[in-house]
Amino acid sequence: MGDFKVKVRKKARYVNEDLCTGCGSCAEKCPTMVVDVYNAGLGKRKAIFKYFPQGIPSVFTIDAPECRQLGQGKKCGVCAKVCQAKAIDFEQKDKEVELNVGAIVVATGYEVFDPSVIPEYGYDRIDNVVTALEFERLLSASGPTAGHLDRPSDIAFEKDLEDLEKEHKKLSRQVKPDANDGMAEKTAALEVRINAMKDKKATFQTAKKIAFIQCVGSRDFRFNRFCSSYCCMHSVKEAMIANEHDNDVSSSIFCMDLRAVGRGFEEYKVRGGKQANIQYVRGRIAEITEDEAKSPVVWYESTTSRQVVHEAFDMVVLATACIPAAGAAKLAELLDVKLDSNGFIKTDSLAPLNTTRPGIFVCGCAQGPMDIPESVAQASSAAARAAETVAQVQLAVATG
Amino acid sequence: MSNDVLVIGGGIAGIQAALDLAEMGIQVHMVEKLPSIGGKMAQLDKTFPTNDCAI
Repeated sequence: MGDFKVKVRKKARYVNEDLCTGCGSCAEKCPTMVVDVYNAGLGKRKAIFKYFPQGIPSVFTIDAPECRQLGQGKKCGVCAKVCQAKAIDFEQKDKEVELNVGAIVVATGYEVFDPSVIPEYGYDRIDNVVTALEFERLLSASGPTAGHLDRPSDIAFEKDLEDLEKEHKKLSRQVKPDANDGMAEKTAALEVRINAMKDKKATFQTAKKIAFIQCVGSRDFRFNRFCSSYCCMHSVKEAMIANEHDNDVSSSIFCMDLRAVGRGFEEYKVRGGKQANIQYVRGRIAEITEDEAKSPVVWYESTTSRQVVHEAFDMVVLATACIPAAGAAKLAELLDVKLDSNGFIKTDSLAPLNTTRPGIFVCGCAQGPMDIPESVAQASSAAARAAETVAQVQLAVATG
Repeated sequence: MSNDVLVIGGGIAGIQAALDLAEMGIQVHMVEKLPSIGGKMAQLDKTFPTNDCAI
């Protein structure tokens, strides 16, 4: 206790942090588009990027494996050319930093359960079945749809249409008036197809009727037995925000029981039901299928009416479980602390921030699913415990 | 022997713990695997039960 030696690998950004002003002209000119993890894979970003616009530190980073020059060995360097601060440094290397610390606070968080392993929910097959985090990005004004609830199937359709229009433009340029090579016919056929797709696109609407499915991967003996704790309120919140964006939106939240256990949560739930068109349905979903309009159809047994019913929705949101971070086991091994039976970091029931090793404390979702207020409360508490440890070290040194 | 504290993870819990420690005058080292701190909370639009902005 009180004397840990830590080796940290500081990963290269390929951008000099002291020089970069965060102006973004590099990202503007970067030719490589990459799937944006921050937007839950729904949008694209450049290979030189800031994780999100308000990100701290406010400097750019090159995603090396995706970068033309660093990852693919091609000639590029556009970012370096446009950077007025001369901050781009392709030669930067990972650095090893050695630290000596008196206490450690583990706040490594959690991961979201991947629902594609539940075949009956069709997350892989049905475009308009999304996870709660994906829905969060769709609701966000800084997200891929600027806060409009465009259905993922419609977004994919519009992308296809855009691609076809590009192809049409390319073909039209190749058509020679006298040549009898069938190019003119091919172009005309493509145009008919494009017009039909445009007519269909004109009928698209944002999602108005949304289903939320609770306990996806949690309280399910096939996956995780534990309750994920925050998802009930998360779904209520998402349904409320969706209704706030568009008053025509109505939501059904399908749950075994809606757990509103925090301060002000029950009132929030009731307010959602009264003011935001939320209906709470008791029932576990058996299957989700898709109809011709690409709308997910939810099949379930209503335990109040004792009937098996099905209902189509514009979108289905899966309240996916909070599970241990992928690296939790490895981190536990490195730190020499134990995990609990669910794979989160083990704590003492009477000292809930203590790990199994003195001087190492854990807070937030690294020790189990919890919401933001609880994470913050635990974090302050862990900070106090760490400070206490450091103070004891100081005292021991002073008194010899 | 050292009076510094290491915080592993720069999400809402790590940030809060690091700020509290820094305010007590303790030198904090924070390790985060992503290019920016913020964690999952930075991906949220609003938070319950007040519908306040997450960022």
